[in-house]
Amino acid sequence: MAAVTPILETRAIVKRFGGLEAVSGVDFRLARGEVRALIGPNGAGKTTLVGLISGRLSPTAGRVLFAGRDVTGLGPWDRVGIGIVYTFQITSVYRRLSVRDNVLLAAQRRHLRRLADWVMLDRQRLTHEVDAALESVGLADLADRPAAVLAYGHQRLLEIAMALALEPALLILDEPTQGLAMGEIDALCRLVRNIAERATVLLIEHNIAVVLELAGRITVMDHGRVIAEGAPREIETHPEVQRAYLGRRSRSTP
Amino acid sequence: MEGGRAVLALHLGVLGLLGALQFLLPPFHHGMVARIMVLAAYAIGYNLLLGYTGLMSLGHATFFAAGMYGAGLTIQHWGFGVAAGFLVGVVGALAAAFVVGVVTLRTVGPAFLIVTLMLAQAFYLATLYFNEITLGEQGFALAGLNVTLGDWRLDLARPAVKYNAALAVLAVCLLGSLALVRSPLGRALVALRENEERTQLLGYNTYRLRLVAVLASGLTSGLAGVTYTLLFGYVGSTFAGVLYSIYPLLWTLLGGAGTTLGPLIGTLLMTYAVDVASGITDAYLIVVGAVLVAAVLWAPAGVVGGIRTRWARWLP
Repeated sequence: MAAVTPILETRAIVKRFGGLEAVSGVDFRLARGEVRALIGPNGAGKTTLVGLISGRLSPTAGRVLFAGRDVTGLGPWDRVGIGIVYTFQITSVYRRLSVRDNVLLAAQRRHLRRLADWVMLDRQRLTHEVDAALESVGLADLADRPAAVLAYGHQRLLEIAMALALEPALLILDEPTQGLAMGEIDALCRLVRNIAERATVLLIEHNIAVVLELAGRITVMDHGRVIAEGAPREIETHPEVQRAYLGRRSRSTP
Repeated sequence: MEGGRAVLALHLGVLGLLGALQFLLPPFHHGMVARIMVLAAYAIGYNLLLGYTGLMSLGHATFFAAGMYGAGLTIQHWGFGVAAGFLVGVVGALAAAFVVGVVTLRTVGPAFLIVTLMLAQAFYLATLYFNEITLGEQGFALAGLNVTLGDWRLDLARPAVKYNAALAVLAVCLLGSLALVRSPLGRALVALRENEERTQLLGYNTYRLRLVAVLASGLTSGLAGVTYTLLFGYVGSTFAGVLYSIYPLLWTLLGGAGTTLGPLIGTLLMTYAVDVASGITDAYLIVVGAVLVAAVLWAPAGVVGGIRTRWARWLP
């Protein structure tokens, strides 16, 4: 295989919580531009693995490389700065701030380079960027409402608008369709496909229909390990995957 | 922001009103309002941390007193001028804020509160321990302070000079805090208050933000302490004590934490309440306690916070 540097790589990464090993020596690689789904039963270690990638968690052992650079020691804020963006599984918007201010906080971050930027930024350019992000997720009409009054599905879209405003190189979506209605799921799939034209997408998802529609490749985890990886067709027939899923049915498996 | 001009006009209007009051107030209240304006600057500093960053400190007297002792001791013992003493006080407060900020960097909630209280207690005890130079609780007075600019000489003992100097410091702190909370930095601090983990994952180094907030808050509080010393000519341990850490908390809560005008309103109301109460009883601290309890129970948003919720959402 040609030695193309993957956009993301974990090397023998381990995370222990007390006696529980949530992630056990995972080697994970992501090629630039792909849409990858990360699936597996509850408690398989998916959210922990992406936590290690985004920097929310620090690993017990192992390394994380982003575009060939070792980022293991970087704080989550610095990882956002180089393009690793995470959207929360449980929506975590600023409930008391307006929808616009939520996105503004994301949009302004990229422009805060020099000390003077923290005092004053080009308001017009920022407003333009915020509007664009809200437009792309269809929340422009709700811009001035407090985030807390948004319906759940809209809060999920707001999360994605905030992620978009950060201009991710790698966007990690943690169960983006959880709790959404059918129509909303279709809209979200369209949105993710749009994003995928500009960014690499790593998607944790329980809804297999969504996974099959969006993902070019699928990684399956169980008990803190990667048990299978490949194109959707290969994964469907993979014996390990069948065993993992037949043993413990996942919530939304059709 | 569309309401930007109206907000600025409101703040300038409040300052203008305070400026006009000096010609109307009888001498006692003239002095009282001058004192309140300096203490309000202290509360504004406190509010930067409590209201806009979400960190409750019980040790802000350290910053106020660091400013006070920085200026007072150098003027008293080393014969520094007003300007030099002012500078030492401000730098001293900033240094104290740096130490407190670094020590409390990873503490939140009750832990932050307790560590700030302990550090302030240590500072207070230090002012007593070195009583040969600080004269402890009794403190010392600074007399004959004046500022000379060329031929122009300002006698800080004159009421009109006190009043307008206090007003100038208040104006700097009030407009400075308004500018801060509307800046990208201010927005990031509010984000930190609302949800620290989320803010980290939007790319903000929240530890650095907290340190900046403690520095800004300590600097403002120290500026108030320096001003107090220079205008009222007194330095004493009382101002390093726990009561002077609780006061700005109370003023801020009463007026409205997280509002720019709240600290000023709260200081004004509370100082007058204490003044009236101390005319009636020696146990005026009961009034302080009762107001604190009542504010927390029935008006957690404070006066200005309540106005904002009910009538004027645009208030910063």
